[in-house]
Amino acid sequence: MIELTNVSKSYRTDTIETLALQRLNLSVPDGEFLSIMGPSGCGKSTLLNIMGLIDEPSEGSVVLAGQPVTSYNGSKVARFRNEQLGFIFQSFHLINDLSVVDNVELPLLYRKMGGKERRRLALDALERVGLSNRATHFPNQLSGGQKQRVAIARAIVGRPNIILADEPTGNLDSHMGGEIMDILTRLNTDLGTTIVMVTHDERMARMTHRLVRLSDGERVS
Amino acid sequence: MLTHLFKLMWNKRRTNSLLFLEILLAFIVLFGVYSFALYNLDRYNAPLGFQTEHMLGVAIDIDDEMDSLDVLRLQERIKRDIRTLPGVEDVTFLGFVNPFGGSTWGIGGDDNGFDAHVTLTFAERDYASTLNMKLRDGRWFEEGDENEKYPPIVVNGTFHDNFYPDAESIVDTIFILGSESHKIIGVVDHYKYHSNFEEPYPHVFLPPQSNFTGEPFQQLIVRTAPGRTAQAEEPLYRLLVDATKNTDVVIWNMEADRKKANRPVVIPLAIMTIISGFLLINIALGLFGVLFTQINRRRAEIGLRKAMGATPAAVTAQFVGEVLVVTVAGLLLGTFFAVQLPLLELLPIPGKYFYLGIGAAITTILLIVALCALIPSRQAARLHPATVLHEE
Ligand SMILES: Nc1ncnc2c1ncn2[C@@H]1O[C@H](COP(=O)(O)OP(=O)(O)OP(=O)(O)O)[C@@H](O)[C@H]1O
Ligand SMILES: [Mg+2]
Repeated sequence: MIELTNVSKSYRTDTIETLALQRLNLSVPDGEFLSIMGPSGCGKSTLLNIMGLIDEPSEGSVVLAGQPVTSYNGSKVARFRNEQLGFIFQSFHLINDLSVVDNVELPLLYRKMGGKERRRLALDALERVGLSNRATHFPNQLSGGQKQRVAIARAIVGRPNIILADEPTGNLDSHMGGEIMDILTRLNTDLGTTIVMVTHDERMARMTHRLVRLSDGERVS
Repeated sequence: MLTHLFKLMWNKRRTNSLLFLEILLAFIVLFGVYSFALYNLDRYNAPLGFQTEHMLGVAIDIDDEMDSLDVLRLQERIKRDIRTLPGVEDVTFLGFVNPFGGSTWGIGGDDNGFDAHVTLTFAERDYASTLNMKLRDGRWFEEGDENEKYPPIVVNGTFHDNFYPDAESIVDTIFILGSESHKIIGVVDHYKYHSNFEEPYPHVFLPPQSNFTGEPFQQLIVRTAPGRTAQAEEPLYRLLVDATKNTDVVIWNMEADRKKANRPVVIPLAIMTIISGFLLINIALGLFGVLFTQINRRRAEIGLRKAMGATPAAVTAQFVGEVLVVTVAGLLLGTFFAVQLPLLELLPIPGKYFYLGIGAAITTILLIVALCALIPSRQAARLHPATVLHEE
């Protein structure tokens, strides 16, 4: 269960203050597949960052797994990110000096786990996104869509309870996009993974349980 | 995690090659300086075997025409008169080779059934007492020695240890020197008369009666009371000019000569120390720079790792670990080169100093690298993932 109450987020630079989120209320029950839509710059990524403990709200409260996140200390935050969350970033964020399979292994690196097991899980995740044949390539040898799939494999490799996906199909053709949606849907139905997905695609959104629309940092539906 | 580090550093080997070379170079220079310094420090710490402070050396010119008995009488009178000078404690004559004078007399052969090369000093009865030398066995020259069947000699500890390693005592042993038999009557502890950094070498003291040069002893060593060395020079000079009727009298300070004799080692050592100090500062600064730019370029990666569950400690360990992997690689190659010196025995320096030098160089470099890596790495660990991930 993710519960956001009256969450606001403002970014202050030297000259201007941007209000990225305004008094937002949202609760995502366990096992829900939720999609978020809204125009560019309306605060979708900011919302995901706050849910994923990557950013902190300026105001309001975030409750994860029944506990307010303000009560989490540094190592608990790290462990929560590592074990409970899978993040798919809008701009992939792959490490160029690591091969595809090493990139996918990254979240497992911060767990107590043998190297063989790590490798097995990473190859497994790559198989699921249809990239087994690119395991030893490096990110700069991949197309945008392939990078997107590596990022997805990395997000699912640790079998997190929550997946936060920032436009996971944005760089894919409709066929590949459909396949990614299949993967996410299957994770949701088979394993009960909670999924929050930002998308610009109405058709994708319609395949989820619920749609939330944002505009200018405010929830409009 | 370690495999991850190795993989990452191997994939970045082109970026890391400069750091690798820098470490290798630093290691080789430090290894050289440390080995040289440690070796010489040990040499320096080994005692000279005689007093150098408050000592004056003197060279006089005795008339060639004088017959040997007159010379002997003159020498005895000079000694007697010098002892009466204020501040003078003791005085002795010696032959051509004086401590720190820079000259060496040597002789060698296999007359004794083994190869024996020794250096020589021509000294008389008062030499050991004037220079405060300690004997570890036997006695120094005495009156009446000239009536012995074999001319007596005194040797140093190295002579004993090198030529008769198994003998408890070598006193009364007959030793052939320049095809003539001598009897060893005493062993002095040490006698390093070239410089503090001299390697131990077998040495023999010959008494005046074995003086095969035919020339009289024309050098003296005068021991003065502490603090009275300088005042003793003037009356000493006048006395000797009077006694020899010759103004050709040169007086020097033995302590000053000792320091001068050490210069060929001290000066290069000082230069090497300064150079390697600068080199280390350079490496530290370079490392700082490289790390700061590398970490700046990898801000997004740091954010990503934290978003994936890396703790600040894990991020710090990551960056320090990366640098250490490259450093250890450089040190390993450096060590491989360095051990060739003792293994192939390319230099006349005991292997122990090279191994110590390797250890000291490794320790220094690891310490500097770890310190230099820690500061930027900790800074990286504090980065906030949302901020750095948004920057891309
Ligand atoms: N770290 C930051 N510093 C300053 N301003 C920020 C930061 N992150 C986001 N913003 C601002 O907050 C607002 C919301 O940004 P956000 O990235 O959440 O938008 P978005 O809905 O994800 O847009 P898009 O669909 O283009 O990805 C924008 O105006 C953006 O400029
Ligand atoms: Mg966005």
